[in-house]
Amino acid sequence: MNKEEFLVQISECVELGKVNKAAPFPPAMKGMDGADELTQQALNAGIEPETILNSALIAAMERVGEKFSQKKIFVPQMLISAKAMNAAMEHLKPFFQSGQVQRKGKFIIGTVSGDLHDIGKNLVAMIVEGAGWEVIDLGVDVKADKFLHAIAQHPNAIVGLSALLTTTMTNMKSIAAEIKKAYPLVKIMIGGAPVTEDFRIEIGADHFSRDPQSAVSYLNSLIA
Amino acid sequence: MSDYSIQNEGGTLFPDNDIFHADIDYILRGLGMQPGDADEYLLSLIASLIADCKPMIEARAAFIVYNSPQFNPEDNTITLCSTVLNVGKVVWQSLKHSSELALFSATCGDKIEKYSKQLMKQGQALEGLITDLIGSTMTEAIVDYLHDHIKNIAFMKGIEVSNRYSPGYCNWNVSDQHKLFSLLKNYTSGISLTDSSLMLPVKSVSGIIGLGENLKCIAYKCNICSDKNCIMRIHSTL
Repeated sequence: MNKEEFLVQISECVELGKVNKAAPFPPAMKGMDGADELTQQALNAGIEPETILNSALIAAMERVGEKFSQKKIFVPQMLISAKAMNAAMEHLKPFFQSGQVQRKGKFIIGTVSGDLHDIGKNLVAMIVEGAGWEVIDLGVDVKADKFLHAIAQHPNAIVGLSALLTTTMTNMKSIAAEIKKAYPLVKIMIGGAPVTEDFRIEIGADHFSRDPQSAVSYLNSLIA
Repeated sequence: MSDYSIQNEGGTLFPDNDIFHADIDYILRGLGMQPGDADEYLLSLIASLIADCKPMIEARAAFIVYNSPQFNPEDNTITLCSTVLNVGKVVWQSLKHSSELALFSATCGDKIEKYSKQLMKQGQALEGLITDLIGSTMTEAIVDYLHDHIKNIAFMKGIEVSNRYSPGYCNWNVSDQHKLFSLLKNYTSGISLTDSSLMLPVKSVSGIIGLGENLKCIAYKCNICSDKNCIMRIHSTL
């Protein structure tokens, strides 16, 4: 297989959600190599990790994002694609660590203090990571101090605040205020079931994400 | 202001798992899909996860009935044994003709929630999300069972029941959860509350149901509420 063929096949695997050879989905690709095996094979064949990342993986996730925005696919397909993407990314990790391959940027995310819900946060983290960003996941019940500490460690990161309850949503306000006070230039994105655009304006956050794809679009717009 | 409400009766139910069925349309809507959008692979994945989750249900539901609640029209509150519930206009209007109020709690336990977290941790995001939705729909099924039980009690008395309402929905502030739990006394179904009014196990529901002569269950009026993710909105659009 030549370079072009590898890139096309890896890209297809991510777009269609073929994680690895053992994965039963999609049924039409049963028994075939997936993003996992093909990425390793491509690296073994000498294809640059950065080319695999940009020309195959991120390009595929961008198409997935477009299809999701156009309602041609839904959350399940997007998550399966992200899983395939992450399987491929495992092989690229050593190159990220060595600095040979650069991610788009850093994204700090956490569920705000008082709230223990993590499903929405995890989905956003997964899709954002799949879009080529390094994700620093602070977990749930995260107080302002922890966000500030993470920002100090990752000064150019963008911050995401998540909440599922109307009671804990109000904690976003104080956390956003503390972040903006210490780091006025840090961009803050908020999301969660009760969160609205009006609430974003009220608390002075920079973006309200209705879904994971909206989070990716916003992050990408910051580096465009 | 006098308060004549008294605790009348209550009970805890431990229904059998077999009677509960997951609402697949609800799960699909939680995945952002319409029923016709799902392919065979997804439907079979959902079916397999439901089968995994069913033995994990630890259904428990409890209720306590208060007689002669005091409805305060000036601020849309309800007083029960000196505790004032700030239920808001929507809930107040729906319950104001109740002669009795049943406060309830219900849970499906924490095993499904833990399984969902485990799947997420393993990178199985879709499976984890579906499992979480199964936990939600199973919990609602338990509350449906409890609602029917209270309906039967009302039927025996020759009266009707209202819809059920929970703190955090229909503009009833979720911070009232603490007051509701103090009124539930020993009928909390083993659910505990965090300072931020989060119920543990997370897959739990608490709330209020009216009993009275001129009450009925009606479709929820979702156009007046901003919560686009409300489970009752999802039910009402089916």
